[in-house]
Amino acid sequence: MLLHLLNRSAASSHVYRDALRAMAEDDCLLLTEDGVYSALMPLAEHFSAVYGRLFALREDLASRGLEGRCAEQIVIVDMEGFVQLTEDADRVVSWF
Amino acid sequence: MSDRSPMPMLVVLRHAPHGSSWLREGLDVALVGAAFGQSVTLLFIGDGVEALVKGQQTGPLGQKGTHPTLDMLAMYDIETLLVDAESLAQRGLIETDLQLPVTLVAPERLPSLFAHHAPVFNF
Amino acid sequence: MRYALLVQGAPYSHQAAHSALRFAEALIARSHRLETVFFYHDGVYNAQRLATPPQDEPQLVDAWCRLHHEHGTALLVCVAAALRRGVVDERESRRHGKQGHSLESPFELTGVGQLVEAAMTHDRLITFSP
Repeated sequence: MLLHLLNRSAASSHVYRDALRAMAEDDCLLLTEDGVYSALMPLAEHFSAVYGRLFALREDLASRGLEGRCAEQIVIVDMEGFVQLTEDADRVVSWF
Repeated sequence: MSDRSPMPMLVVLRHAPHGSSWLREGLDVALVGAAFGQSVTLLFIGDGVEALVKGQQTGPLGQKGTHPTLDMLAMYDIETLLVDAESLAQRGLIETDLQLPVTLVAPERLPSLFAHHAPVFNF
Repeated sequence: MRYALLVQGAPYSHQAAHSALRFAEALIARSHRLETVFFYHDGVYNAQRLATPPQDEPQLVDAWCRLHHEHGTALLVCVAAALRRGVVDERESRRHGKQGHSLESPFELTGVGQLVEAAMTHDRLITFSP
């Protein structure tokens, strides 16, 4: 299993499409930095193919005023959760 | 190199030439990996496919660009040049527009490519 | 586990360096070892000796140095990316006939080979890019 990191909003960058195309069936995706803007509807719908394996970083949501506004399909993790995801993955691929 | 990776290394090139240094710096990682005896696969995807377009030139201030580096890849035994077919088609390009022979990759092959390379560098 | 980080964002221009430092703290808190941070692309600016951020902002250079002093983390800066951008140690400064140097200690200039090596010898490599 690979962990993919995405730090761009789907509203302004197409890189999420390549990230999604590169993901295998059990890969996970963590939204960080400006990537967390995609954790809200309707942008989150772009990631429907990976619901259940889709995460967003709490502190990046909080600093942007988005905590509590996340789509329910998204699992919110703190920094410790971020590290745990990297432990569980064989490798980590960053998309930016 | 003390620990040669059992899997080939993947360098993903996602940026076009001239506009930024991402492509050059990504290619440098590929060349150094190969020089260290690592088997290296290049994947051109997104704007990265523009790196391969024929007829590129030095910039007006003498910026070297990356096209001369591409011609050196064979010397470093980097022979697996994969191009994301969808990215190429999206940009109205076909294989004969490219300066080197490449292998087109169908979208469904991308996940296994990432799964079967280590390390993966994404530029 | 043994971790390496690849930092490619300039400090104060993008969040990348901040994110990398937060991740560094968190992985150490989970008893992992942060053995190497490699600075590449605009990430080399993190090693600027003369960076003078306002006092009420994160002191990124100090934070990197603390990782080295408290956890033995190697702070490796790509020499090719650094020299182009004016991040120069004393030796390179002399070699190129420049006055002064701009690389903070204990950051050290090194080749891209060290990045490839780190990727293969550490358990995890995490990239933070702008």
